[in-house]
Order: sequence, then structure tokens, then C-alpha cells
Amino acid sequence: MTFTGAPYVLKIVVAVKQVPDTNAEKSFDSATNRLNRSNVENVLNPFDEYAVEEALRLKEALGGDTTVTIVSVGPESGREVVRKALAMGADSGALLSDAACAGGDSMATAYALSLAVKSIGFDLVLTGTQSTDAICGVVPAALAEHLGVPCLTFAKKVTVTDGTIEVHRETDTGYLRMRAPLPALVSVTKSANEPRYPSLKGIMGAKKKEIAALTLAGLGGAADHAGEAGSRTKVLATSAVGARPKGTVIQAADGNEGARAVIDFLVAKKVI
Amino acid sequence: MPAVIIYIEHQAGALRRIGLEMATKGADLGKSLGVPSVAVVLGAGAEKAVDQLKQTPVDVIAVGDKVPIEKIGLDPAVDTLAALLAERGPSHMLLPSSNAGKDLAGRLGARLRLGVITEATDVAVGDGGLTAQSPKFGGSVTASISFKDSDVGIVLCRPNSFAARKEAGKGEVIALAPAAAADRGIVVEESVTQEAGAVGVDEAGIVVSGGRGLGGPEHFDIIEALAAALGGAVGASRAAVDAGWISHGHQVGQTGKSVSPSLYIACGISGAIQHKVGMRSSGTIVAINKDANAPIFEFCDFGVVGDIFKVVPALTQLVKERKGA
Repeated sequence: MTFTGAPYVLKIVVAVKQVPDTNAEKSFDSATNRLNRSNVENVLNPFDEYAVEEALRLKEALGGDTTVTIVSVGPESGREVVRKALAMGADSGALLSDAACAGGDSMATAYALSLAVKSIGFDLVLTGTQSTDAICGVVPAALAEHLGVPCLTFAKKVTVTDGTIEVHRETDTGYLRMRAPLPALVSVTKSANEPRYPSLKGIMGAKKKEIAALTLAGLGGAADHAGEAGSRTKVLATSAVGARPKGTVIQAADGNEGARAVIDFLVAKKVI
Repeated sequence: MPAVIIYIEHQAGALRRIGLEMATKGADLGKSLGVPSVAVVLGAGAEKAVDQLKQTPVDVIAVGDKVPIEKIGLDPAVDTLAALLAERGPSHMLLPSSNAGKDLAGRLGARLRLGVITEATDVAVGDGGLTAQSPKFGGSVTASISFKDSDVGIVLCRPNSFAARKEAGKGEVIALAPAAAADRGIVVEESVTQEAGAVGVDEAGIVVSGGRGLGGPEHFDIIEALAAALGGAVGASRAAVDAGWISHGHQVGQTGKSVSPSLYIACGISGAIQHKVGMRSSGTIVAINKDANAPIFEFCDFGVVGDIFKVVPALTQLVKERKGA
């Protein structure tokens, strides 16, 4: 992140999600096909850490009255991941935890999230590019659409100059340099920065920071647009993918022997 | 009339293989549903994609070469696709699971209140409409997902999931005019190419990846040589990317790309869970690592405990000899 231009105050909102730890064993409720979240350790979605970090760097560069507000939709336990972002240095948080939002798919969640973001007010919305659990990657764009602002996603570099934001959007071969007027939404890739760890002072300070409790009704949301009722996809079944069986492992005396063994294996399997 | 609409990405008119895979799948779904399949190709150079699309089983090829996505981003594509959906009536839409595909799906889903199924590895017509298979939670679970409260929806398709089938001479070509659009003020200033000609690691049939064991950026040449000999793409572990040895576009794993090539060769990669979730669905996994206790040896199909700097170049040589034979 770089900043040029006159002193400038931004109201930044970062959307984050609570996800189960990638290392944790998962199980699903056979009746609802929802994840049993109670017995897994939950963490701040690793992709969202880049968005939080980018917001904090922007705030540090701008100084003064620029604020960073963290917002999340999810169960009450999501308060802990909002708290982690506050410990990293964000100013305040809000959690929309409402039974009416439970079981929502990506589109229903983006709708609920957009109401929360609108209620906070923003010049810039930052998000990660996807979550590690659902791996959808469509919420940032859906959120931008609901907010009616320019959608600048997959940014590996973010620059703010007065009322304009410029990003480098990752492509397979390089990047697109794009700009748009604020307010806007930007999703940040892991190439953008190296997220900080919360300091002890940050962790202590976060305990005193406010996390507003939002409700769908309080935001004027339509219950038939949110949660499971508002979702237009339905999970019919889930099946665990079996572990890959352990194959043959050989100790190669030298490079040629190792290479020959690989070739023989690939040819026997008709892979090449 | 309703259709199966297939959004085809291109680079100056050249399709990626995912485009051909989706054209085939879309045409087959259209046939099952009794509706035409319409391939949509937008942006400058779109007309050059027609010849390739005529080699696929799609019924209609809609060319919107005046839709200025290369100048102002995806806003005009969203508007044009929304107009096409409105004109056609309730239609399914297939999009590639790429950055642009995810943006278009998210925005159209939000605007038109359509369900979005992501990362589909298979799509079929069942009793209640389309059903797609989608990996969740790092591929540890496969979810079977359909649409509800709506007959149609949007499916994002993962590369290397569907077979591409040639069917020459089909495809009626029509022009697709840009929809009148709200200008959100986005400007694409320039397109910067940092690595030319690289096959996308997510859609390559063969991926050769390097990790921490390479020890430095200068050693990626042994990975590149093996990938070139096999006609595959170069991947990398997070450790190699975080060390700055290779760009993020090559990263396979939780914070990189998910790949499912027919052959994945991991060189000097330990195989932590964050890497595994991005490549576990590969057809065949080969691992070469000097550490006999590396976790990758627990789930590879064939492993060599050995020095990558000796085994990999020797393997490259054998592949070349075999191909030359």
C-alpha cells in the first residue's frame, strides 16, 4: 500500500469471516448438511488477514482520523475473530449474528453483509479473496454489487490518491493496473502484504474495543433474502473424500536410479 | 428462449482449454434440458475465438467484440450478460472458476438473485434440475449442490474437470451488442505482462512443483526444465512463494490455486496440509524429497527419497529421451 496526496481521511470497513482451522477434522450434521462448528477450532480466515493488514497500513499512512472497522456475519463465536482483527490494530468491530442469517450460501451471506457494511458507512471496503472453508471467492463481487460501488478484486497492490484508488489486479501472466473513484470495494491477495501478529498490547487493548451486535431486523433486512431461507442453492449431500492411500516410496541410491524408478512407474500407470 | 449460457474467456481470441471443456459440458447440459447452448465471448479479439468454438458442440456463438472489458473492466460484461439473461428468459450460466469468472458470478448472482455454485467438478441434469459436485473444506468433503426457489442458476467450473469434445462445423454465429451500462468510473490503465506464455498452473494437465528444498530462486530452472519436457506447468509451494523465489500465480495450496492435473510432481515439497488441500485431487502424485519423513510420502502414489538436484535433471533427461523415441 502506498499513499500520495493531501491529508485524507478514509472510513475503511474490512469484512472478515470465521472459518474452521484447516488442520481440524470436520464432521457434518447429517440432517442439515451443515458443518458441526462446535467441536472444531475456529480461526480468522487466513485470506482476510491480508485485507486487515492492508487496512491498517492505509490507516498508518493516512494517520489522523482514518478508521478501520471490522465486520463479520456468522455465529456468536465469530466475535473472537473480530477481536483478533481488533488486536491487530483495527478500531472497532461489528458482528451480525442472527439465526435469520444461519445456513446462508455465499449470495445470501453477501446480502446480509452488505446491510451491515451500509449501516457502518464506508469510503473503502476491503476483503480477502475467498474463505478457506467454502472456497467460493464470489462474496467480494456480490458485496460490491449490493453496495453499488466499483469492484476491484484480486489486488496485489493498492494505492490511494485523494478520492481515487488504484490497484494492480493479478492476472496469470502479470497484472492489470486499474483505477476507480472512491467509494469502492477492493479484495486483497496474499501478494499485497505480510500480515502482522497481534502484539500483547494489541491483544489487551482489543478487550476494551467495542464490537457492535447487529441483527438482520435492526438493519432492515428481508428474512427471505438471508440465511438458509434466502439461499438459492441447497446442499443435497456431503461425502467425505477418502484419504489417498499411501503409495510406493523408494530410497534412491543416486539420481539416475530415482529417475528411472519414476519413469517406470509413470509408464506402467500409463500416465506418460 | 432459455438456454445454457457459457461464458468463454480468451486472450486476444485464443481460448484456454477450460473454454473448450465448458463448451462441451454446456452443450451436453443443453441437450439434456432441451434448450440451446450459447457460448458468449466478449471483448476485443472475441471474433477470433469463433473458429475454435466452431470445433465444439455449442449451438450458438455470441460474439461481443465491442464490449469494452479490456478498457473499463468487467462492468460492461456484467451488464451485457444480465441483458442476455433477461432477453433469453430463465437460463443456466456456466462460468470458468477464474478471477473474472468469480467476479461475474458474484455480481450477476447478487443483481439477479441467482444461486451460485462454485468450484464445480461435475454438473449433471437430475430430477430437480442441475446438480453440481463441489469440493469444500480443502477438498476433504465433496458437496452435492442444486438450486432451489429458482429453476436456474450460475455454476463456476473448475478446470480439468470435464472432457473437451470436438464437433466440427456447428455453432451459429451471432453478434452480441454491448448493453447500455452504468459507468462506475473504472479505468484499466495498462496490462502488464511479467511472465509471458506460461500455462496456467490451475488448468495444466501436468504440474511440476518446487518447494523449500530448492534452496533458492536460481534453482527453479530444474523444475522448469522438467515441466517443459513433460509439456506441463510450473507450480510452487507457499514456502517458495513466500521466499520470493517465484510469483504467487504459481502457488498451489490453500492460499494459492487448487489444481487437479493428471500428474503432479512435487519436488522438495514437504507436503503440509496447506499444500495438500490444493493438489490432493490430482490423478497421480509423485514426490521427490530428501527427507524420508516428509508428510508428502504419506499420500503420494510414488515417492523417491533422494536429492532433487540429481533426480529431477535425470528425470528430465529420461522424459526427453522417451519423447524423442
